[in-house]
Amino acid sequence: MLELRLVQGSLLKKVLESIKDLVNDANFDCSATGFSLQAMDSSHVALVALLLRSEGFEHYRCDRNISMGMNLTNMAKMLKCAGNDDIITIKADDGSDTVTFMFESPTQDKIADFEMKLMDIDSEHLGIPEAEYHAIVRMPSAEFGRICKDLSSIGDTVVISVTKEGVKFSTRGDIGTANIVCRQNTTVDKPEEATVIEMNEPVSLTFALRYLNSFTKASPLSNTVTISLSSELPVVVEYKIAEMGYVRYYLAPKIEEDEEETKP
Amino acid sequence: MGIKGLMKLLADNAPSGMKEQKFESYFGRKIAIDASMSIYQFLIVVGRSGTEMLTNEAGETTSHLVGMFSRTIRLLEAGIKPVYVFDGKPPDLKKQELAKRYSRREDATDDLAKATESGNKEDIEKFSKRTVKVTPQHNDDCKKLLRLMGVPTVEVYAVASEDMDSLTFGAPKFLRHLMDPSSKKIPVMEFDISKVLEGLELSMDQFIDLCILCGCDYCDSIRGIGPQTALKLVRQHGSMESVLENINKERYQIPDDWPYEEARRLFKEPLVVTDDEQTELKWAAPDEEGLVNFLVKENGFNIDRVTKAIEKIKTAKNKSSQGRLESFFKPVSTSAPVKRKGTKCVLVSPSHVTKFKTLSLRSRPGVLGRLIFPSLELGSNYSVPLSRHETAHTTEKGAANKKSKAGGSKKKK
Repeated sequence: MLELRLVQGSLLKKVLESIKDLVNDANFDCSATGFSLQAMDSSHVALVALLLRSEGFEHYRCDRNISMGMNLTNMAKMLKCAGNDDIITIKADDGSDTVTFMFESPTQDKIADFEMKLMDIDSEHLGIPEAEYHAIVRMPSAEFGRICKDLSSIGDTVVISVTKEGVKFSTRGDIGTANIVCRQNTTVDKPEEATVIEMNEPVSLTFALRYLNSFTKASPLSNTVTISLSSELPVVVEYKIAEMGYVRYYLAPKIEEDEEETKP
Repeated sequence: MGIKGLMKLLADNAPSGMKEQKFESYFGRKIAIDASMSIYQFLIVVGRSGTEMLTNEAGETTSHLVGMFSRTIRLLEAGIKPVYVFDGKPPDLKKQELAKRYSRREDATDDLAKATESGNKEDIEKFSKRTVKVTPQHNDDCKKLLRLMGVPTVEVYAVASEDMDSLTFGAPKFLRHLMDPSSKKIPVMEFDISKVLEGLELSMDQFIDLCILCGCDYCDSIRGIGPQTALKLVRQHGSMESVLENINKERYQIPDDWPYEEARRLFKEPLVVTDDEQTELKWAAPDEEGLVNFLVKENGFNIDRVTKAIEKIKTAKNKSSQGRLESFFKPVSTSAPVKRKGTKCVLVSPSHVTKFKTLSLRSRPGVLGRLIFPSLELGSNYSVPLSRHETAHTTEKGAANKKSKAGGSKKKK
């Protein structure tokens, strides 16, 4: 028996919007600690990890660990039917092959039940070890979204390099080049508008903008985004969900191949 | 070719070991391709009708070059790193099979001659297909082409490929339909040996015995034993030896000279190239000038098409630089969450054993990483003992072979 009641239903809507472009089908794992998901995109270049802790729900009941395979497009379709102020309850019976989303309007005068079929998905679960990152950049999520969008109109890939001066995003395309530098800036009125750079070592990595752009779909979830970079590790782009958990994206870097012209 | 009826057997008994995958999802992977098989396919399919072949001005066939060129570009564009594997010396045990194929081709040549006389178009088409043969010249042409394109080639003894026997050789993963034209939209079929074994409830050794019983290139099958019976027998008795002991000798005629032990050894320890120089794989930039010279001047290709294709190779190189997450994070077994239909009854004891075995198979460190080609891995790891083994092996086999020839001729009489 599973019953999760989330007062701020719009949160779940936003979560779905933030991952459905990247992943088609995924298993949602429910345990006593929370509601989580880990899934890779079809090309195995990007990974999304979602965690909604049980404390964030008004009511959280999960008798035993279960994994529910869902088609995210279909799930998003159903959640679109929920109003932004609605309370969403996720329900599933043991052994059942459906999940029910219940939407209650804030005034309790309308209750809607949506039942969705589950599916069997065999997906690989990747073990992600804790790592020390060379550089961690925290910046306004809207700013990061804007940069990715702008650069993708010029080129396909972005080089993100962190130095003492700041973080630089640069791209190159057929029509020309673009460079955007963001300096550390903590003298702002609101803390979420700050750009904070923690750097142990300078680092420079190349990524496909296509994926970064789909990550920025999570911007509505959080005012700030944290980008953790380390050479020879996938970048982590994290959007914290207030008091509940996070959506984290991992993206494998592009590897510059050695231009060796030695061929027998 | 390969193991008789294995594909169907697996589909029936171990469906979880087979997965349909999108062509695109293999980008960044190194994939070994059976070159001889590909060339053979090209010679049959590309630009051939009846006895006419696609040729250059000098009258030499170029079908294989056309096919190889466009297929390789398609792979590169998908970000796949192909390695072409050329047939080396066939193992002695395979000679019997090869002799059979040879005589079949002879028959076909005769039939073709008859068909041409009578002018039966359907027959001409049918028999000319059967007379197609891959010559060393074809192999060399393709090697040259691939070298110019910057794609590595490897020469291996005992090759595995679209042939289902790749699995028996211990390839951890094996792809089928990868090479089908994109227009057909057939999903790539991925076979995962560990899952196959789990599905069949067999160990790797038992799986090899099963394949030998089904009939492989290296020794004949026993009359009356098909894949289904073979699976039943191996499951029941556990190994080839006890199968042979317990089998009803009246009902099933075991051939007098049935080298199952040899075949088994061959599957376990294929003979491989031990030359270190060859096992280093590199994908270099294409040699533009060389390609134009070879294809346009020597083989009458259209210059526009070739230059366009070279452009494609160059852009493809850029794409293949995208890393995959698996090279950073390793998959973990999903032990935690129970599936919602979690009350399934599972037979535990046999699958435990097989699982352990296959895991050890996978973790073997290899030059080629996740490559589907197994023999190469062995080569770099066990170079010395293998080469020593080879000499002992062949002399022993020579004798066995003579015997089998004698036996065969007797039967014919």
